[in-house]
This record gives sequence, structure tokens and C-alpha cells, in this order.
Amino acid sequence: MSNNLELREVRKAYGDFVAVDNVSLAVPPGAVFGLLGQNGAGKTTSIRMIMDILAPDRGEVLFFGRPRQPEDLRRVGYLPEERGLYRKMTVFDHLLFFAELHGVERRRAGKLIAEWLEKVELGQWAKAKVEALSKGMQQKIQLVGTILHDPDILILDEPFSGLDPIAQALFKDLIADFKARGKTILFSTHILEQAEKLCDHICLISHGKVILAGELAAIKRERGGNVYRLATSADKATVAATPGVAEVLDQPSGLRLVLAANADPAAVLRKLVQHGDVTDFRSEVPDLETLFIQAVRHAN
Amino acid sequence: MRIDPIVTIAKREYLTRVKSKGFWVATLLLPVAMAALTILPSMIAMKTRASQRLAVVDEAGGYGERLAAKLVEEEKTKPATELEPGRRRKEETAQFKVDLVARSGERAAQRAELDRKVLAGEIDAWLWLSPEGLEKNEVEYHAESVSNFMTQSRLSDVVSEVVGEARLKAAGIDAAQVASLTHEVDLETTRVLAEGSRQEGGMAGFFLAYFLFFLLYMVTLLYGQQVMNGVLEEKSSRIVEVILATVRPIELLLGKLLGIGLAGLTQLAVWLTTMVALTAPAVLGALALVPEDTQLPQVSLVLVLHFLMLFLLGFSLFATLYAAIGAATNNVQEAQQFAGFLVIFLVAPMFFLIPIINDPDSTLAVVLSMIPPLTPMLMMLRIAVKMPPLWQILTAYVLTSAFIVFLIWVCARIYRIGILMYGKKPTFQELWRWIRYA
Repeated sequence: MSNNLELREVRKAYGDFVAVDNVSLAVPPGAVFGLLGQNGAGKTTSIRMIMDILAPDRGEVLFFGRPRQPEDLRRVGYLPEERGLYRKMTVFDHLLFFAELHGVERRRAGKLIAEWLEKVELGQWAKAKVEALSKGMQQKIQLVGTILHDPDILILDEPFSGLDPIAQALFKDLIADFKARGKTILFSTHILEQAEKLCDHICLISHGKVILAGELAAIKRERGGNVYRLATSADKATVAATPGVAEVLDQPSGLRLVLAANADPAAVLRKLVQHGDVTDFRSEVPDLETLFIQAVRHAN
Repeated sequence: MRIDPIVTIAKREYLTRVKSKGFWVATLLLPVAMAALTILPSMIAMKTRASQRLAVVDEAGGYGERLAAKLVEEEKTKPATELEPGRRRKEETAQFKVDLVARSGERAAQRAELDRKVLAGEIDAWLWLSPEGLEKNEVEYHAESVSNFMTQSRLSDVVSEVVGEARLKAAGIDAAQVASLTHEVDLETTRVLAEGSRQEGGMAGFFLAYFLFFLLYMVTLLYGQQVMNGVLEEKSSRIVEVILATVRPIELLLGKLLGIGLAGLTQLAVWLTTMVALTAPAVLGALALVPEDTQLPQVSLVLVLHFLMLFLLGFSLFATLYAAIGAATNNVQEAQQFAGFLVIFLVAPMFFLIPIINDPDSTLAVVLSMIPPLTPMLMMLRIAVKMPPLWQILTAYVLTSAFIVFLIWVCARIYRIGILMYGKKPTFQELWRWIRYA
């Protein structure tokens, strides 16, 4: 089956600064795809190129297996990181405007808006001006505006930033609901724990380049097996200098060792015991943060 | 470019404006204010003419009776229509209660006594006709306020008339004959129009041209800035990115221009319909509110159509530039700095207002009215004063339209880049780069 969304060797530079450098990624149908990276890594620029808000200097954007057509964007629900509302409009008129922009017929839009407002418990606010709503309510309206036309692809840029807990829960439910209905979701975030819980596919970018991409479970399977959790009285430098240890990551829950490709864990443990008291040493499936740090170091 | 999103955007821009209370308050208030400004003052003037208690001391002798009679009589007997417009104005301003005071006692003492009466409020003013004064053609007027020049001018007219009559009589000449022979000759102005000539006051034509000129200036500026503020609002509220995910910048720009332009047109349609209706001769007669000798210019349908066309051209031209400014800047303060440059083009036609009204076919008028940024205002002026040849109007319209297409092309590029650019205000060099590379 062809991918729902694909970037092929896309590049975008602002003057001398290369924001996105030969990025290729593929989002299969039904995937929850996480576009991950630190702030300034090139996530928003990539998304803006997907949405035809920015034109890439080079490369291609494909929707549903073919070069993007203008009408494809009507099948997308897009929530940018910086999002606003028309403050002086009523909630209903505002949502109607966005539904019509997405090609939803007026009468149907009216029905959908009423249904969605009930669903997010804002039914009685339809005639109120947007500016009368609290921030949390406005976030719900933004979300409703994004999905009113029942898009096939949902693209959310840092959807959880600045959200109150209720809106966060709503967003998560929505992602789960869309996934259950076989829709495709791409979202960007710099918070890896969130991505880990929600995504089945990831693409890590750093300084505009893809450093790790694929199905999350497969990546973990591949990279797993040489990550160990360690509790020891020896200091970090000593541990790092131990033969067979490729990397030491200092994480809140304790040290993580990444062993060199052909290192023998038993031999490494024997060495470690010589340097200090070892109270914990066990194999661990790496979390996204470990994978990320590893990938960044590797890329550098 | 697709039509659907342009229409959707235009509809939103139009409806949010037309549905607002402010729009209708302004729409209804202007005609009311206009009517109030033209009709009320004359109504008030009629009701509240200044009434003066005037003491007249006829030291020279032989003038007092006649003067008193004249000041009071003219007021009562002559129907308004028989008077020349110029004269009538003055009479409307003052009504006199004349008290002839006999010359008595010491001159200085009598004068002091009269001044005291003025201060005490027993009389408003006094007039002293002395023989030596009349020889120098002077009459003394004392009052607490001497800034009521209309009243003074009328007094001076009546005294001149009375004194003149007496002098003619003394010289053995028939005053009535002289008056009829030296009567002022009025210009009876008739405006020659393709659709039929009609009488129209010269001042009336001037005021119409002037009024339409400023109305056009006002609405162009007002609605142009609304476009700028709308763009700025979308940019600063960060809503623009959501919109740009489904429409292209040029579609957003055109939809915005269309919607706001139509809102302006709606407002103008209300105003101009009111004007056309109110200045129709039948209505004027029926209203009978306007002083009978006032010749209001009639606003023809052709004139209204040209006005609307010129509004559309002027609006499109300036609003496109305003949109680019809104997109390139981050807030109203920054935007105003750029907008200042635009206002120059809107204000520049004012310097040519008088020369063009005086000679609407001069080379200056023809050439300036063909320069696109100046066309809307100056062509309006020319059309209001005297219909220019059709080829000139069409050439101006075509040139302006072409210029607008060019501007939209340039500004769409600035708009496209600027609308997502936050942070510092761009320099002119940067704007130039956006135009070249967008």
C-alpha cells in the first residue's frame, strides 16, 4: 500500500541557514507518526512544507502516493503550533468559516458544529463571541475547527504545548479515536515521553537532518539488547572507561549503559564489579530518550 | 487560483463588518449629520436672529427717522424671495429695535451716559451720526461686542443707503432712478449637461465636487486601513497559518479585498442613495426645509456610478498596498510608519483641488488625473465639476486597473512572505528581496 504522506529529499534554507536538509520520511496509512526533535530542529519548517505554506527549495511532497494536489489539503486537518482564533466572531460563525474553507457544505457544517460542540461540552457557547471563552475552551474550539471536516490525515504541530490538562486529555482521546478509525496522524513534539506513549512510527530530526526513522517497535527491537540499567558505587567516568561500554547515559532513574556492538555483557559486568559495588545490572528495552540521545551522539 | 475559498473569505470579511453595530451607526449617522449640518444652521438662524436694541443719536439731523424706518421696515415688508441672496443673509442675522435719542446737553456727558446704558444692559449699542463724521463718511458705533460683523455690515449698508439717498436728494437727483440704474447685475449660472441643462448655483457645484472628493478620500483611507488592520489582526493572532493551510496567500488577499471592498460599497450605496433622493428637485420642494433660494446641485445617477467605480479603483489600489504593509509589519505602530508614505498619495490631490475645480480641462488636470494613484480622487473632482471626454475617463480607468493588477502581483509576494514572518520590522531592502525571490 502506498504511503499517505511522504517527503522525498526535501530541503529548505533561509539564507545561509539550512533549516531542513534532505529530509525524507514516509507516513503509512493508519500510522500515528511522531516527528521528534529539539526546538529549532526543523519540525515546523517540515510541516509547513507539507502544508504548502512554505515551498521547499528542493525535493518533493507526496500525498496518497502522488505529488501533492491543492485539493489534497482539504483532506488534511492541520493545527499549527502558533494558533489563533477570530476573537470577535461567534464560536459558531468561526467554526462555520473553517468548515467552509475545507469544502464542507453549509448545512452539513451547521449540524457537525452542533454535534462537536456538544461533544466537547461547549454546546451552550455556540452564540458567544470567541473572546468570551477561557483559554482552555478556546483550545477546544481550535481542535474542533481542525477536525470538523473529518480529515483523512491529521497534522498537529506541538499539539500539547500550552494545553491545560482537560484539553490534553481531549487531544489524546481524539488521536486514539482517529487511529481506531484508520486515519493517519502526524504530530511533532519535543516531549519524548508523550511521543513514546502515542506513536507507532517516529522520525527523529536534529539540525535539519533525519537521524533515526521507522517503526518504533522495530527500532526498539533493533537497538534493544545492548542497553543496560546500572546501579553502582563507581563514578560515571570510571564506568565510561570500562572496556565494552560504548556510552553512559545519566538519566533520572539511574545510569544507562549502551554496550559496544560485540561486547560481552558478562565481561563488562565482571570489570564493573572490580571498580565498585554493583547493586543492579539488567538488560532493558531502551526508551525513546535513550534512543534519541544515542542517535544524536552517533550523528555527531 | 480557486474561486470557492475567495468567496468564503470575502463572505466572512463582509458579514463580520456588515453585522457589526458600528457599521450601521456610522452608515446612518453620516447622512443625519450631513442633513443636520446643512439644514439646522439655517433653521436655527431663522429662529434666533440677533435682536439689537439700538440707540441712534442723529446729531447731523435729517437721517434718524429714515434710518429707523428703514431698519425696521425692510425686515417686515419684503418677502424673502424678492431679495438677492447676498442681502438676505445679513438681514437674517440682525433685527433692530431702534430708539431715536435726541441730542441734549454736553456731548461728552451724553456719550458717557449712552456707554453706561450699554454696560448696564439697557441698550445693546448706540450709533452717533455727527456732521463732521459724515463728511469723512464715518458713523460711530459703540457696543460691548464689536465682533458681530454681519450686524455691523448690515448697519453700514443701511446707513450708506439713507445717507446716499439724502445726498442725492440734496443734489436734486431722483434716488429711486439712480438705484434702478446702478442695480447690481447677478450671474445666473446654468450648468450645461449632456442630459439637459439646468440652473445651478456656482457655489453649489463647487461644494458638490468638494464633498465627493472628501467623501472618496475618507472612505478610501478608512477601508484601506481596515484591510491593513485585518491583515495585522490575522497575523498577530496567529490565525493566518490555519487559513493558509487550505488557501493560497493570493486567494486570502483577494478574498479580503473583495469582502472589505463590498462592505465599503454597501455603506456608500446607502449614503449616495440618500443623497440622490434628498437632492431630487421634487423632494427638495416637498421638504421645504431648505431655504428657497438655495440651489442644491442635483446628484445624477451617472455621477454616482462614476463615484462607485472610482471608489473601487481607489480602494483596490490603496488596500492592496495596505495589505502588504499589514503583512510585513508586526503591530499597528510599525504599520503606521509605512502607511504614512501611502497617505502622501491620498493627500497630494488636495493641493490640486482649487486649480482643477477652476479649470477641469487644463493640461495639469488631464495629466494628473491619468496618474494611477491620483486618478481616483482627481478624476472624481473633474467628473463632478465638468464631465471630461469619455476617452480620458476610460484611459484613466484602464491605466489604474493595470496598475492595480501590477500592485497585486507585487504585494502578493510581500504578503506571502511577510504574513508568516514575525520579529523585526523589515527594511525596504528586505522587502525588495521578498518581491524578487517570492
